[in-house]
Amino acid sequence: MQSRGEEVLKTAAITKIYPDGTQALRGVDFDLARGEVHGLLGENGAGKTTLSKILSGILRPTSGDVFVNGKKAEVRHPKEALKLGVGMVHQHFTLVRNFTAFENILLGTDVNPKGAGASKARQEILALSKDVGLGVELDAKVEDLALGAQQRVELLKMLYRKVQILILDEPTSSLTAPETVDLFKAVRRLKEEGKSAIFITHKLNEVLEICDRITVLRHGEVSGRIEAANADTKTLARMMVGRDVVFDLVKEPSHAGDPILEVSDLVVRGNRGEDAVKGVSFAVRRGEIFGIAGVEGNGQTELEEALSGVRRPSRGKIKLGGLEISSLSNNEIRKHSVGLIPEDRRQMGLILDMSVAENSILGREWERRFRGQGIALAWAKVKDHASRLIRSFEILVKGPDSPAKSMSGGNQQKVVVSRELTDDPDFVLAAQPTRGLDVAASDYIRRLLLKTRDSGKGVLVISADLDEVLQLSDVIGVMYEGKLLEVGPTEKMTRHKVGMLMGGVKE
Amino acid sequence: MSFDVTSVGAISVISLDFMVPIAMTAVGEIFAEKAGVVNIGLEGVMLTSAWFAVLIAWTVNDPYLGLIGGMAMGVAFGALHSVISVWLKGDQIISGVGINLFALGFVPFATFAVWHVSGVYPPVSFSFGRIAEISTPWAPLSYFVPMSVVIAILFWYVLYRTKWGFQIRATGENPEAADAVGIDVEKTRIIAVLIGSALAGLAGAYLSIDVVGQITKDISAGRGFIALATVVFSGWNPLVGLLGALVFGYSEGTATWLAGVPEVRSAIPHADYLLGAIPYIATLVVVAVAIGRSRPPKAVGIPYKRE
Repeated sequence: MQSRGEEVLKTAAITKIYPDGTQALRGVDFDLARGEVHGLLGENGAGKTTLSKILSGILRPTSGDVFVNGKKAEVRHPKEALKLGVGMVHQHFTLVRNFTAFENILLGTDVNPKGAGASKARQEILALSKDVGLGVELDAKVEDLALGAQQRVELLKMLYRKVQILILDEPTSSLTAPETVDLFKAVRRLKEEGKSAIFITHKLNEVLEICDRITVLRHGEVSGRIEAANADTKTLARMMVGRDVVFDLVKEPSHAGDPILEVSDLVVRGNRGEDAVKGVSFAVRRGEIFGIAGVEGNGQTELEEALSGVRRPSRGKIKLGGLEISSLSNNEIRKHSVGLIPEDRRQMGLILDMSVAENSILGREWERRFRGQGIALAWAKVKDHASRLIRSFEILVKGPDSPAKSMSGGNQQKVVVSRELTDDPDFVLAAQPTRGLDVAASDYIRRLLLKTRDSGKGVLVISADLDEVLQLSDVIGVMYEGKLLEVGPTEKMTRHKVGMLMGGVKE
Repeated sequence: MSFDVTSVGAISVISLDFMVPIAMTAVGEIFAEKAGVVNIGLEGVMLTSAWFAVLIAWTVNDPYLGLIGGMAMGVAFGALHSVISVWLKGDQIISGVGINLFALGFVPFATFAVWHVSGVYPPVSFSFGRIAEISTPWAPLSYFVPMSVVIAILFWYVLYRTKWGFQIRATGENPEAADAVGIDVEKTRIIAVLIGSALAGLAGAYLSIDVVGQITKDISAGRGFIALATVVFSGWNPLVGLLGALVFGYSEGTATWLAGVPEVRSAIPHADYLLGAIPYIATLVVVAVAIGRSRPPKAVGIPYKRE
């Protein structure tokens, strides 16, 4: 045991029951010392976010106490948490997108960015940012900043408020490898200054790298606490999942055939009219998984939408089994034996308020087999269909009539995937297929994709999860600023190489 | 028919009169929408406030108290709308529709209940006449014209130059972000709605007390909706909103002036009705052109719930 500074934060028997009856936390004890980085590890739904929201004043615990600097603290509002020196950097940044970085940092303080104290505040912020090594263009609008820079704005926002305890919720989820390195540097610098941090993540390597201690949550309970120096990924994974996790998927050698999808010189515009995809060419062959790695926001969304017929490319060709599809609509493309798993299941993949049965035929409702009397749908057949999917894809849900929103993210994604894989499509496009899913669900979906590939279909996986791309793909391409920087077989694309390429660094 | 400097001047005075209620209502609505609350019940707020202003002015025999009464009625509706849509997190559109429907039924009923006439009261013009006027070579101009210019500038300044306005804009763009740094989202929204509705109330009172001098069951004549169109046209900028109101004012002023020209009346059958449609057609055109180009506050219309 190394010596720890005095305790700055403590929770005693925190329990949280949401109004709908979900018990998110059961008697959680947690503490944080001065100058410590304490990792909070757990799967989705383990209660990490609930705990951090209680600490930062967004939620109130059902029972239990929070102590800050030894004193019992009633944090009813983020404002009060900030006053106590507790600040949170959310996974999805709480920034006003069309305000500048400077304005966002000052928001809620006594300083008016157009008023008298503004230039003094600017000096202070610049000094701070130099101190910690967090460079930011203060006068750029947040929406024009890369995600890494947006996070630096969030951090500066907290530091400008003299926060002593930082809660970082999945801080690396949208960062490139070099950005992550910078973030860790900044966290270490803050540690030296005597600040403390709670580092929330589900990435095992990261907690081991940056944390002093690690607390693992499972089903709302502390399932283990360990000094980082004494921990390894295997132990942590067991604490997190409650059983041993096999990290390696068994992957048969690929038997790649002729190309099923051919993309040549594709240019696609983004929402702001800029070219988001800038002349991309590649081919996906039957019996192979082609993985596109890259930090989100480098044109993958627009590429996915162009391939799905949701967004019309401004130049280039897309051939599916030899057929030119770049001018076809999504509906027309779906009739050519393709499965499309969109990156945003909550927005594009499902209609959350509709039932599982209704969701299971979205985009297929025109098919003859669901046709009933006259213009009616054959709802009995639809429900049968959904029940079959629920059984064969092990979807955890009460029944086909339950609304999609009542399921966990993993099961929601299974509904999407099961719908898209019905009828064994020749080509499957899976965008961010396991984003936000827990280990077990991710594992299940990855296995399905591999199975699809093994049955001789072509699969294109677009993912920001480097591990996923490395694990699944036979061929890897890295997308950066709208271009495919490099394409090569997985054997030649090392983790280090792909990681650097994701940050735009070609070696 | 003669069209010369005199008629341009006359048209302008009428047009500026018509600009005022749209400008004030639109600026108030921009303020509320910047905080994240839309009120499509502005038409109803104007109408009811116009009625209430006449009631007060008639009862105490003072047009200024009538104006204040109208404004108070606007605030009352603002309070109702905020309770429903901010505090209780109800649907802002339904609340607004409710206000409109209420006004449609209430004003004819209340006019009859108080004065025992239907539709129009008083049958003759108020004895007050136009209040507070600036003389011009053509016709007297209401003080409300420069006042609405001042209001537009003032509201622009508050929104874009003060700390409070900064917080209001943040609340309408991203209430989560505002909440996370300790801004009271509900309070900010409620205050913005109250102020915005006060302006709509004042606009209604100005119509009944100053411009028309009586209350009719359709005195607002769609101006609340035209103000909503002006908000979109303005890109949520009070100064551009003033300009938009001027455009609508001129379309209505010109139509009104033309309808009074004997040659036009004899040349076109039912000229009043045809010309009366001009402002509404202008609204459609303007909205069709502006929509999609101007960017509304991101969180407008969405009640803020913390989880």
